[in-house]
Amino acid sequence: METERAPLISLRNVNLWYGTVQALRDVSVDFYQGELVGLVGDNGAGKTSLVNIISGIVAPTSGEVYLDGQRITSFHPKLAIDLGVETTQQSVGLCDNLSIARNYFLGREPVRRIAGIPFIDLGKMRKEGRKAITAFGLRESVDVDGEVALLSGGERQAFKIARAVYFRSRILIMDEPTNNLSVRERERVNDLAVQLKDQSLLVIYITHDIFQIHRIADRFIILENGAKVADVPRNLMSAEDLERIIREGVGNDAGSPRSG
Amino acid sequence: MRVSLARFVLKRPETSAVVVTAILVTFLTITTGGTWLSFANLQSVSRITAVLAIMAFGEALVISTGEVDVSVGSVFAMGALIFIGVGRTVNLGVALLLALGGGLLIGLLNGAVVAFFRVPSLIVTLGTLFLFRGIAYGVTEGFYFGASDEVRSRLIFNVMGGANLGGVNVAVLWALVALLVLHVVMFYMPMGNRILAVGGNAASAYSRGVNVARVRLIVFALSGLLAAFAGMLDAASIGYVDGSFGELMELEAIAAAVLGGCSLVGGRCSLLGTLLGAFLLRAVGSYLVILGIQPQWFILLLGVIVVLASLSDRVLTKLLFRLQQR
Amino acid sequence: MRAPAVGIQHVTRPLTRFRKRPDAAIVLGTILVFLVFGAVDPESWFQFFTMINITRYAAILGLLAIGQTIVILSREIDLSVGSVYGIVAIAFIASEPTLGVPLSLLAALMLAAAIGLLNALLVLRGGISSMIATLGALFFYRGIIYVTTGGTVMRFSQGARAHWLTQAFGGQWLRLDNAFLWFMLIAVLASLVLYHSRFGNHLLAVGGDETTALARGVTVVRTKTIAFVACSLLAGLSGIVTIAQNPQTHVTLGMQLELESIAAAVIGGTQLGGGRGTVLGSVLGTFFLTAVRSEMITLGAPPSWYTAFVGIALLLGATINTVMARRSGA
Repeated sequence: METERAPLISLRNVNLWYGTVQALRDVSVDFYQGELVGLVGDNGAGKTSLVNIISGIVAPTSGEVYLDGQRITSFHPKLAIDLGVETTQQSVGLCDNLSIARNYFLGREPVRRIAGIPFIDLGKMRKEGRKAITAFGLRESVDVDGEVALLSGGERQAFKIARAVYFRSRILIMDEPTNNLSVRERERVNDLAVQLKDQSLLVIYITHDIFQIHRIADRFIILENGAKVADVPRNLMSAEDLERIIREGVGNDAGSPRSG
Repeated sequence: MRVSLARFVLKRPETSAVVVTAILVTFLTITTGGTWLSFANLQSVSRITAVLAIMAFGEALVISTGEVDVSVGSVFAMGALIFIGVGRTVNLGVALLLALGGGLLIGLLNGAVVAFFRVPSLIVTLGTLFLFRGIAYGVTEGFYFGASDEVRSRLIFNVMGGANLGGVNVAVLWALVALLVLHVVMFYMPMGNRILAVGGNAASAYSRGVNVARVRLIVFALSGLLAAFAGMLDAASIGYVDGSFGELMELEAIAAAVLGGCSLVGGRCSLLGTLLGAFLLRAVGSYLVILGIQPQWFILLLGVIVVLASLSDRVLTKLLFRLQQR
Repeated sequence: MRAPAVGIQHVTRPLTRFRKRPDAAIVLGTILVFLVFGAVDPESWFQFFTMINITRYAAILGLLAIGQTIVILSREIDLSVGSVYGIVAIAFIASEPTLGVPLSLLAALMLAAAIGLLNALLVLRGGISSMIATLGALFFYRGIIYVTTGGTVMRFSQGARAHWLTQAFGGQWLRLDNAFLWFMLIAVLASLVLYHSRFGNHLLAVGGDETTALARGVTVVRTKTIAFVACSLLAGLSGIVTIAQNPQTHVTLGMQLELESIAAAVIGGTQLGGGRGTVLGSVLGTFFLTAVRSEMITLGAPPSWYTAFVGIALLLGATINTVMARRSGA
């Protein structure tokens, strides 16, 4: 019955080259609404490359990408955001020099037109920013007009997730969201991921921490040397097996030179 | 309460410019026995401040994105030369459009190379600085372009810098208009938010869907346009222009922006501060004139001011961060 | 890729290797410029005087360009060289009556080193970008030149001109300017240091990837400081050979040389991102600019056209370099 559903995102035979380096090799994968997918693999396995395509940061060298069955032909972050794809990344997404309110709406600032001239609606930006601060568990003392440079690591992640929710995203990609977080903050971020899945979002979760993701994900996709080597539901694989596959590899020919 | 007031004051990027300006004006007035504060001097200082400020506003926008435009001195000359040169031979209206259009085009050229090829902006604009300075000397061939009395009596000429209103040159009004418009664009319109975001963290801005290349192109185009406009205003109020017009002004524009609280690494901008920075520099220049000191001292001083301003910029940024973390 | 036929492989390898050199374009460009100017203007181009003029100016610009290359390789820039060139030349000539030639020469070179050290200090300790620090220095030292000389022209005495040390920099040997010989000597030395010494390795590492260099134990601050000091010293040396050759000063001495030195380095293939470039490229870049300058003077073009040309050369050179570097995946 799972297969009856149409996939929300579908990648077909996607290849990605950076100059002379092949980052993705013939990857085909489907993602469905309302699932939390763990995207795992060793460093350089192609996890970030894969999500960079979905979030429009890079275009695939060859292959097809479908969203809601529609073929995607141009790739740009703005387009992806407009189509409901939000990405929270470890290092990017927030401008430290701008206030929380301004970051919340960066790139999609609400405007009030006065005589046709678009003025940003600072009142709305402050109000929504303040709502996010309380709803997503940031410290009480955090000021909506303060710079985001003052937020803790966990608060930054929570803030990015809040932003994704606010813009009614259907797909949330979380790229290593719990790196450098305290145990408590990590729990908080993982709870948020599960909550969003329960609100029938598609959550794609990239991590190194196998045991952590095994507790919350519905399905795992394992990448190795840019190729998909496994795609298994949680109930078919233990965390130990998952970790062993990543550590030892499946010994496929993905690492050897390709022809054609 | 005391902390939050200190926080508010320190957070404003123009704070140091306001303080330094206040001290400086007092110092200049006292040491010249009041001459500095005379109407005649203020009249001239306000005009030359306005001209520099208009150019420095463009520089401030470029600096806000973390780039720099050193070509503005030559664009200033091109604006002035086209306006007077075409104005006295063809038509002032055409001259006005060509001068502004020329500045815009040079700005677009700088911006396109920086935005699309990612060549360091210092090198790109250093190239155009000398390219258009060479052209400025080339077309004037060592002479100057002067405006005839007939040209000087025309309305466009007077609106574009020729006239004084109540003793104040129209350039001052233009500077205030530019300040108001650009301040609103920077802080109350989406474009300003994006300019600051690109300067703060270009990768983050891009990931939020901001068209980073377009933002860079726009700030350079505006910088070119404003520099040419400033050159035009200056030439019209003086009445003639030569090949060396605007030499060294690129450094003054950068200094004004940095003194005014624009961070050289981008992401922090104050246009009001930039205006004060321009005033500060021009006030010191006029002071040297009143004291009868060789104008060459100003070049020396300018070098020191630029270095000190960027040093204090660094210190201030660190201090600010520490204060906010409390 | 499958192995190509053996014969082709042998022919293409040196060619590909040449193409991948950062200075490949300027090697061809300089040869082309000399050939074209020779063809256009055969009777005067290959004449002795034309060549002497070219080597004379090339020596002055080339010394600056080599220094600039070293700084750019460390991923910084030095805009102050034109003023350093001027102020060191003036210090040499101004202190000669009291100190004598050897001591004033030493003093002038020490001044150059001190300026380089101050630049490095502002950048590395003060934390301001080299662009702003050296732009400030450019104007500061130019201001000092104006204020101290006040437009007067200083000259060497007959005795000072004839001094063997002055002649060592300003005289001739085998009909070649000693200045040119110094330039060649320093080009060879700089090449050896850059590619066959520990310091050179550190310099390229710092320019290529500062954090990695730091992690490998390279002292970034010391390496960059040496680069700034070397650049200032070479700018000063250039000023000294100029003044030894043509012993009179004027306030505009060295103006615009910062642009020309950067242009020579950039069109010589030095990457502005640091870490890539050759001394040979900058030397050829110098010959390229000098050849065009000489030809423009011959054709009677005003000096402003040369200024405009250098501006375009810098703009195009930097753009092409940057695009090529990205193509090759660097």
